[in-house]
Amino acid sequence: MERIGVVLGRREATPLEFWVGVEGEGLLRLDDLVVVKGFHPRVGEVLYFGMVDHVAKLHEGEAYDTDTFLAVEGQIPVSLAYVAHVSVTRILPEEFFPPDPGSPVYLAQGEDLERALYYDAMKNQRGSTKLPAGFLKNGEVAYLNLEFLNGVKGGHVNISGISGVAAKTSYATFLLKSLLESGVLEDAHQARVLLFNVKGEDLFFLDKPNARLQEKDRAEYARLGLPATPFQSVAFMAPPKKEGYVPDLDTRLEGVRAYHWDLVQFCQRGLLPFLFADRSAMTNLGFLLAHVTEKLKELAQGQKGPSLLVEDWPEEDLPEEVRFDQLGKVRLKTFAQLVRYVEYKLLGPETGEGEGDRRWTARQARPTLEAFVRRLRSSVENLSHLVRGDRPGNPPDPLKGEQVHVVDLAKLSPQGQMFVVGSLLKDLFERKERGQYRGRVFIVLDELNKYAPREEESPIKDILLDIAERGRSLGVILIGAQQTASEVERRVVGNAAIRVVGRLDAAEAERPEYRYLPTSFRQRALILPQGAVILHQPEIPVPLLLRFPFPAWATKREEVLEDNSAEALRREFF
Amino acid sequence: MWRLLALRPGALAREEAFQGLAAPEAFRPLESPWEARRADPRPWPEPLYFVDGKEREEALLAQGERVALLGSVAAGALVHQGGRMALLSPVVRRVGVGLSEPLRVGELLYEPVEAEGTDYPSLRAGLQKVREDLEKRVAQGLSGGLLVVDGPVRFPRPGGPLLGYIKTHWARYLPEGEEALLHALRPGERTPAFQVSREGQALASWYVRLPLAPEGLRPPQAGLLRVETPLKGPYLELADLSLSLFPALASHPVKDPRAPQNLAPIGALERELARRMGSQEVVERLLRRHLGGG
Repeated sequence: MERIGVVLGRREATPLEFWVGVEGEGLLRLDDLVVVKGFHPRVGEVLYFGMVDHVAKLHEGEAYDTDTFLAVEGQIPVSLAYVAHVSVTRILPEEFFPPDPGSPVYLAQGEDLERALYYDAMKNQRGSTKLPAGFLKNGEVAYLNLEFLNGVKGGHVNISGISGVAAKTSYATFLLKSLLESGVLEDAHQARVLLFNVKGEDLFFLDKPNARLQEKDRAEYARLGLPATPFQSVAFMAPPKKEGYVPDLDTRLEGVRAYHWDLVQFCQRGLLPFLFADRSAMTNLGFLLAHVTEKLKELAQGQKGPSLLVEDWPEEDLPEEVRFDQLGKVRLKTFAQLVRYVEYKLLGPETGEGEGDRRWTARQARPTLEAFVRRLRSSVENLSHLVRGDRPGNPPDPLKGEQVHVVDLAKLSPQGQMFVVGSLLKDLFERKERGQYRGRVFIVLDELNKYAPREEESPIKDILLDIAERGRSLGVILIGAQQTASEVERRVVGNAAIRVVGRLDAAEAERPEYRYLPTSFRQRALILPQGAVILHQPEIPVPLLLRFPFPAWATKREEVLEDNSAEALRREFF
Repeated sequence: MWRLLALRPGALAREEAFQGLAAPEAFRPLESPWEARRADPRPWPEPLYFVDGKEREEALLAQGERVALLGSVAAGALVHQGGRMALLSPVVRRVGVGLSEPLRVGELLYEPVEAEGTDYPSLRAGLQKVREDLEKRVAQGLSGGLLVVDGPVRFPRPGGPLLGYIKTHWARYLPEGEEALLHALRPGERTPAFQVSREGQALASWYVRLPLAPEGLRPPQAGLLRVETPLKGPYLELADLSLSLFPALASHPVKDPRAPQNLAPIGALERELARRMGSQEVVERLLRRHLGGG
């Protein structure tokens, strides 16, 4: 054991925190872990494990600040004090009496380090549950307890930090890599991942090796017990362009599928509410919305799609491009036509004074019906390429096919984003609820503040709350991220067992959402470099400052390591 | 059984013996003419040592008619070398003047020291003697370079040159005519050296004027330092060196009420010595607990 100093007596030494005087050439830094032996004749030996969260050097005995000038000039002698504040992380056995001032302090290494960070407790009947989560400052591998991530004791991850420098997405993908390939998650081969790409096209190269990956990065992956490879099984889905049916992406063309819902799926799955994001602004529309959704479900029952057949739309009111088919039914081929149909059912023929179908209007006053139709109409522009009747629906299905599904939202309007996220999460959660898929599902969603805002109500927020509160027992784990946790619904953040903070802005760091971080960590969150995060997990009373390795997968087109082998070229051309 | 008579007896009898300012009977200048002198700056010798001691009266004890003075005495040295001032490990003794055997008070142990008399001034003198002996012991452990002691030169230094400096001037060494020069002396100047003798030791001595911020009008004695060195040594060289040495080490009035004569390193050394003696409050608490109320 490397002795580093002694417990100080001039300042209070308590069972939960104490000060250490560093002796001689000793080096003690923030985040270093130390161990102190205490002894009391009636209790015996007690070990205090702790983490350094404050270090300082000062000249003792100087009465004035300017005495330092004299010391530098060699006029007065000084005694340099090097002190560190230690927050106790663990006491073994749990006897809360203070350590004696003057007790020797040792650096916690090896077994002591494991005990200081509760690694020895991270296990279950079947083995270790230590999931590699990055590197500590001293270069040792940092772990988090998988049981607090996979839903056994806790679930969900929440990541906060300034966009661009906090590396929220990078850390989330690194965590996924660790989950899927470290071998710690037992049923990793059954686990599914749904990744929403909200900005740029960063996530669209997850399956490509990173050309900038260096030898030292590979060594780091090796020390974490992870292969330095890109993700093996990834499906990429992007919305189609508004014209035509090509994925709307700029940097990646091959291997990406366009996704959309057809009209029958839209009606059968009851996706109408996800067009209405701001429920608070339309409280009286809520009942009508539920009613129309139900009506559309009835209408689409038994239909195969992709277009929707309706029979009670009189000819005189039909839009120009719509015609009766042989069976006397009208075939709706676009979202706009569906909206026109709903308008007819609620408000009656466009030309006449008549009123809507009473089975649809649910006894609502005409202004309510008109407000509803207005909102519905305004969504046509945003949704018509996502909900269409011209070809069979192809919505992303994260429970089938590849292990990881990347779904692009970046180019969608806010309403389109809401619709896609809401529809996918609802479908996924319902199927998990019904027990249709056994493996765990991890959902990565950035910009939680948009989908589960603190102040407003929305159908998507309901689903996210459902996932946050019941998801862990169903095996649906949310890895959520946002710039500012203070703007996200408390219950969504509060249910996350693992909390991660990247670089924060100064005002945000002072908000109560981050009070779980000791002051020194909140200060450091302001200056965190890229590639470093602060991770808090329930078992360890202090957060850990972690560094995680450079991504082994490309995060943009330029980083893709081109595979020019004959095999690859043949695949590309034939 | 010793009983406590008084704590901190020194605080009661702080009045210094005032020796009266009689003019000196004999005055022997060592340089002429009698006028202010300057010298070019010169490098400090290496190593440069400073020695100082400190005594603290802690309690007056009584056992029947017998009285004893308990106190702590410390002496230490600073060494200036390579542009840095460093503290050499100080010596601390806890003594009881007037005791005939060691006295244990809790965890403190007072060594017995014989006293000249039984009255309080003799006991104090005994304590001062212990301090002087301790300073001498520390000084003897230092070899080479130049040694500067706080106070008059009381012992010879065979190993090298020695300077003593006196901050307060209770005795007059100059006849009235020559004394006028003291008033005219400007910062960074010294008087010519003159001979003094104490306890049979022949010494060379001179006055130095230290800088005292802010510059301007000041009382005639402000910033005046009397320096002495054994007459046998290279005293003229040392006198010129002292002009490079003492003004540079003078303390600032903002920080030290005894500025500028109380030199900055000596001030720091005294603080350190006081610290090594232990907290006076803790000592008093132990004395009260073990020796009864005072």
